[in-house]
Amino acid sequence: MIDKIRAKARELLESGQVHCFIGYEEGTRGKVRPAFIYEPQDADRLIWDERCTYNLVTYLHQFQSAPNPRPGGVRETPPPVGILVKPCDSRSLNVLFHEEQVEREGVYVVGLTCQGVKVNGQPQARCQRCAERVPLVYDLVLGGVPKTVGREDYADVVKLEGLSPGERLAFWTKEFDRCIRCYACRQACPACYCFECVAEQLDPPWMGIAIDLPQKQFFHVMRAYHLAGRCSGCNACEEACPMGIPLSLLNRKIAREVEALFGYKAGQDAQTPPPLATFKKEEELSL
Amino acid sequence: MATDFEPQIVGFLCRWCSYPGADLAGTSRITYPPSLRVIRVPCSGRVDPLFVLKAFQDGADGVMVLGCHPGDCHYVEGNYYTRRRYALMHRLLEYVGLEQERLFVEWISAAEGRRFAETVTAFTAQVRELGPWGREGKDGREGREGREGRKEGGNGGGRRREVS
Repeated sequence: MIDKIRAKARELLESGQVHCFIGYEEGTRGKVRPAFIYEPQDADRLIWDERCTYNLVTYLHQFQSAPNPRPGGVRETPPPVGILVKPCDSRSLNVLFHEEQVEREGVYVVGLTCQGVKVNGQPQARCQRCAERVPLVYDLVLGGVPKTVGREDYADVVKLEGLSPGERLAFWTKEFDRCIRCYACRQACPACYCFECVAEQLDPPWMGIAIDLPQKQFFHVMRAYHLAGRCSGCNACEEACPMGIPLSLLNRKIAREVEALFGYKAGQDAQTPPPLATFKKEEELSL
Repeated sequence: MATDFEPQIVGFLCRWCSYPGADLAGTSRITYPPSLRVIRVPCSGRVDPLFVLKAFQDGADGVMVLGCHPGDCHYVEGNYYTRRRYALMHRLLEYVGLEQERLFVEWISAAEGRRFAETVTAFTAQVRELGPWGREGKDGREGREGREGRKEGGNGGGRRREVS
């Protein structure tokens, strides 16, 4: 499997089909880190195992998304990139394709079938919920057909919904209060690609600069809402959070509501219009 | 709950239906509570859910978003988007612990002055019942003092901007 990935990366780089290949390599202290391979001889650094939890699609922004040109200007086509994607990452990739952040032609997608990844030896809860074991978008898929498929039942979300508003507020206040506003969740998120984030806008000053509860609440609710119908559930935000805030509880709540209200799941394809950018005239939505 | 509590409500009113509706309530001399602070917007579709969050962050006790009836939008389809956005926003805010009765989205036409007054009265009563948002007794951080203090050139306070 690893040999196939290395061979493919080498071939792509040698033929000049891509100028960079994004994958995983051995890091320090038994961890895995993202690898950016520019030379064919470096392709042997690439690895793939169950520790490869990061969503590499996040790194496509720096290669592929360029600001829109000024009127009359020509948009420069960025050089193509190769990337390894797991099924969850492929959903993020679909979101970026659909939002025209990344061009399909500009990316060579090496898909990997996945049985679930582990963080510090622990199987990830999101992998047990994951219903896809084969990437949804790829140029080449590697790996055998996996046997098990997970199921999402939103048990923890439903449990939280069962509490009274006061209890929920207490729960989220406790969680949000730990936030140190490092924005690691945003940086790790493949769907957070704004050049200027609301959190840092000074004119108008949406959020305020205090590291105080109202600002933290604002930041997390704002981010959750901005990801409505776009979050593919890769959980990179929660894994990146140094304070262990359960962001998946927030994002999956929205995903669940979006599916219930509008029958939409993020990242399934790159064609269906997103739920908040479209409407039906005759629909009953309780407000 | 303190009986002398008067809620502060921020209302985003669409320029074509609800704002003239409020005008009609005024010219018809129908009284409604002074708790409502009206912000005129071109369309209810202009009301970014961020506005609502910002209002709650800065201490509003309730937020109203009023627009044209579906099908009557001056811009043809603005309020259909509003409907989808706030259906979702409602559920999200409720989930993070804000009582869903604090956010109110309704369609009020330019001819419905009386209905406007009744709606504002009913909503004010509803919020009064719930008590202050995010002040004493809730998280204990954002007291009324804190909010009053912030008006003196604090974070974003005293800044006047038209939303357009």
